[in-house]
Amino acid sequence: MKGNQYSVKVYETTVEDENKFISFFDNNYILFKDRLIVINGELSDRIKDYLISKSLIFVNNIELPRNKNRQELELEEERIRLEEEREQEFIKAELNRLSNKLHNNLKVLDSMVRSGQELKIDGDLLLLNRVNSGATINITGNLIITQVVEGAIRCDGNFMMLSNSPKANIIFHGVQVDNDLLEEKLNRIELKDNKILITPVLKKEINWAS
Amino acid sequence: MGIVIAVISGKGGVGKTTATANLGLGIAMNGEKVVVVDFDIGQRNLDMILGLENRVVYDMVQVMDGEVNIKQALIKSKVNPDLSFLAASQTKDKTVLDSNKIKELLDNLKKDFDYVILDAPAGIEGGYEHTIEFADAAIIVVNPEVSSIRDADRAIGILDSKSQKVKDGEEVVKYLIINRIVAEMVQKGEMLNSEDILEILNIKLLGKIPEDRGVIDASNQGKPVILKDKSIAGEAYKRIAMRICGKNVKMEDIERVDVSFMNKFKGIFK
Repeated sequence: MKGNQYSVKVYETTVEDENKFISFFDNNYILFKDRLIVINGELSDRIKDYLISKSLIFVNNIELPRNKNRQELELEEERIRLEEEREQEFIKAELNRLSNKLHNNLKVLDSMVRSGQELKIDGDLLLLNRVNSGATINITGNLIITQVVEGAIRCDGNFMMLSNSPKANIIFHGVQVDNDLLEEKLNRIELKDNKILITPVLKKEINWAS
Repeated sequence: MGIVIAVISGKGGVGKTTATANLGLGIAMNGEKVVVVDFDIGQRNLDMILGLENRVVYDMVQVMDGEVNIKQALIKSKVNPDLSFLAASQTKDKTVLDSNKIKELLDNLKKDFDYVILDAPAGIEGGYEHTIEFADAAIIVVNPEVSSIRDADRAIGILDSKSQKVKDGEEVVKYLIINRIVAEMVQKGEMLNSEDILEILNIKLLGKIPEDRGVIDASNQGKPVILKDKSIAGEAYKRIAMRICGKNVKMEDIERVDVSFMNKFKGIFK
């Protein structure tokens, strides 16, 4: 099959007043005779007959593929579809990974970690109490601590959630976390593109008891 | 059957021995029979603070080794006959302590006394572990400063893991004494306040003792400050001793006293 591609000049309009429309076309006939007329909205027989009598080429109510040809449109549609699919897959995988980790190896502790104590944890930890000065937590998984940390944290997990802890010594994937970056309430500390990203999770204080 | 209370601190120099001496006397003043035992083998001090230095003939190690009878080694205080004292050995070191012998000694003391108060050595080594091993309760003495708090925290951690009661699935009751509080410094924010300390250590408060110059003089003279009239630290020890004996004494608020008024008051007499 063979085909040619052309650019066409288009005049797009709507019919508001039939008499005005006809007189406008009569006056500017020279402008429209080589264009494709696109009329949006209702098209009466009178206007149809008028346009035919003037040998004007017209179409009614079509969506114009402005500046993009069909191929481009098809490609773009395909790209959006793929992107959405990939995003869905990524979210699914991420959720799976996190929930697997959390379900398999989550430890919940509600005891104070005192000076000189060293917790070595392979997996995830949810700690609902303080980490005092001189205490150490060594953890391979994710770590959430809801109270103040004054001791040392060594975390190699995907993320940590900590509140503001000016006296803490926090090392995440071998890099010291700047305590000044931790805001008052809970902060999420994660590794993204080999950089440590800190985002405050909550502006409001959580009442863990309720 | 008496109870064994270990007086601990982790850090040295916070007033453990002074507290032991004063609480021993204070409990005796409440009419209870009490014995204070110096567990600081090789570095004994309690005899001096109690003013019993020249009366020590036999020590705890000799009793444990069976060289002498426990009755021979116990020294009765002349100030209050309800208070007895058992000295530490000054010539031996902490390695002579043995769990079985300590248990036997404490069991014997518990038969004759309502309260057995052990003055723990500073630090967290063997001597300390032996002191807390058979304790029913612990009094933790801290100063309102970070190093003292951290060391006390460590000492509590060891207490919670190594004492016999904890190993048996029970709990060692822990009480806190905050020593040497200067109200003016707390109000200026230069000294930790008791709320912060209690939050860090998470144990019950037994009492607060204000800084008192009289304490050093009292220790040097061998007359614990609790015997002094109108001593602020002595009064605080009296209240704590009453609490230990089960009396309901209102908690003093020595941190929020009006400092400006006190300074003015002092000025009048200058």
